[in-house]
Amino acid sequence: MPSDAPVSPNHVLSLLARRGVSLELGTIDVCFIVALALRGERSALASFTEEQIIDVFEQVCAAVEPAAEVRRVATHAIRRLRDQRMLSRVDGAGVVRAGEYTLTRLATGIVDFYLADESLTRETLTLLLHTLHESASGALAAARHALTADEWRTAVIGPLRVTVGDLVQGIERRQRAFDAQQEQFQRDVAGLLQTDWFNAVDRCQALLDSTTETLRELGDVLLVHATQIQSVLQDIQDLAATAGAEEAEAVTRRVSEQIDRIAAWSGARQRAWSEYYQYVHRFLRDVVRIDPARVLTHRLREQISGATGRNFALRVASAAPIRLLREVQPPVEQRPAVRRRSGERERAVTDTPSTDPQSKLDADVRAALDAGARGLAEVTALLTRDMPVGERYVAVGRIALAVTRVCRPLTMAERPWVPVGDELVIEEWAVPEAS
Amino acid sequence: MSGTYVLLEDAIGVEAFPDVDLALRRGRHIDRDDTDWYAFLVDASAVLEPFYRRYGCELIHKSDGYFYLLPTEERLGRRHLSSTEMLVGQALALLWLDPATVELGGFVTRDQVLAQLAGVMGAESLVRAMNPTRRRRDERVEQETVRTKVQEALRRLASLGFVEIAEESRVRLRPALMRFAEPVRGAAAPEVALERLVAEGEFVRVEEEGAAPDADDEAPEGGTEGSGQDP
Repeated sequence: MPSDAPVSPNHVLSLLARRGVSLELGTIDVCFIVALALRGERSALASFTEEQIIDVFEQVCAAVEPAAEVRRVATHAIRRLRDQRMLSRVDGAGVVRAGEYTLTRLATGIVDFYLADESLTRETLTLLLHTLHESASGALAAARHALTADEWRTAVIGPLRVTVGDLVQGIERRQRAFDAQQEQFQRDVAGLLQTDWFNAVDRCQALLDSTTETLRELGDVLLVHATQIQSVLQDIQDLAATAGAEEAEAVTRRVSEQIDRIAAWSGARQRAWSEYYQYVHRFLRDVVRIDPARVLTHRLREQISGATGRNFALRVASAAPIRLLREVQPPVEQRPAVRRRSGERERAVTDTPSTDPQSKLDADVRAALDAGARGLAEVTALLTRDMPVGERYVAVGRIALAVTRVCRPLTMAERPWVPVGDELVIEEWAVPEAS
Repeated sequence: MSGTYVLLEDAIGVEAFPDVDLALRRGRHIDRDDTDWYAFLVDASAVLEPFYRRYGCELIHKSDGYFYLLPTEERLGRRHLSSTEMLVGQALALLWLDPATVELGGFVTRDQVLAQLAGVMGAESLVRAMNPTRRRRDERVEQETVRTKVQEALRRLASLGFVEIAEESRVRLRPALMRFAEPVRGAAAPEVALERLVAEGEFVRVEEEGAAPDADDEAPEGGTEGSGQDP
């Protein structure tokens, strides 16, 4: 049963890829599965013994591959089908005795695809939609009286998930079968025309008309019932919202979306069919009826294959596009602004004394030494005290240079590293006392 | 023709007129699939035919269910299709007549067009027809040229309403393709029919194979386009 929470396609795909899911079924495998299903149905068997399986396989081999060595091939086939989860062992006896097997859901799905008569007709669709409406109405009646979460779960959510869900899936399955029929039908029409060109016209016409009628009927039935069912589901959803039954609301919404999808199918198929119908109709009218002996095709082929097909050309109109010139908006005339000249055009040059930063630094260093500073660290701390933090690093080097210019640092065996402020550490140079 | 529009003024006052008029003048063929445009032309053809005749054109309505403008004088621009467009158009017309196309509802792929051409003309002949001036032969390059030219021709034919590009490599065939089969439609010999069609201005004769204009070249014939000449 599918969960109500939306599943990410990427997650599902990665899960399947991780499991390494694959199917490899030959004709004989499919025939074998179908034969087992038929035997089970005819003999009302819930499971098959190994002998029964081999017996069925012998019959299949006799029909499909008469030359095969049955016993050995059967062993392989059973193993292959078990590996691909078509057959599952149900007895649990292990090696004690021969096993019992049953067809899995995957296998029955394949059997249904090939055998089940799930045609979508006006009658089947009406019946299914009517039952669907009844089930949804039952769930609505239960929803009106549901008080506890348990009542919502058993009387509303359960029926909506199982009964209504299965019915909806049944309709969708029949819609897919109908699509497959349409595809086959289009192949049949083309085949009819190819094998029996002119005489096929009436049969094609009848086929086209009958399918058009079927689609129209299906569309009408879906339109009427879908509206009624949606109305019931909307009531359930409102009740669930009022009662705060979130799970019931989600399930109802999901079923409602499925009903929308079923109803939309009809419109989409009618549109697609209408295009196909018109095309085939035109083909029958303009091509088949006008050229019953297919002379035109023959002559056109000759025209292309011969040189005559290339020494003439169709003439077509080819008017130059109309030139639509954009409307020109002349720019607003703007005269250059005339301003009264204020003051002199050029300012008079005045001499201003320039300051040499290095000589100023030299002077500052000298002043610091005169003030009693006895080492580079002390001078640096004094001069960088008022500087922003970012400039101090650069200033340290310049101050060291200035110290060497102003005095000669004393030579020492080892110069210690001392901190200057919180962020710098420099090599300490002792300097002679100022004279 | 229902003749809904009695006066030209009524017809050109319709909202669809400018679009239809521009499409026709650009060589577009308008068929029943252009539902509104076709219906308008059916109703207005009685007043539009004399209108276009004053421009030196005939508004043609074919029994296959399409309209187009045929310039008979040089007032309005006109051109003839290139050799590649003609070949591709004829192959598409063959596909239009092929019952196998019915299965796909009138859709064909570029590969089917190429296969049709190669099947009818022969692969070697097809390659030569689309590489007429190439001196150094290289099979791979020549085949690639054929594919490119066919794709380009499909695009141009789509702009003229002969096909409709549905997806990247699929086109939907349209009734106007039957214009390519006109020389062989009647009971007369193809050459006689062609003479008549040339005289009516439907077709023009072009030079023999090898000297034909290349598929990529425009083939204008005077009028407003001006540079070409009638053969």
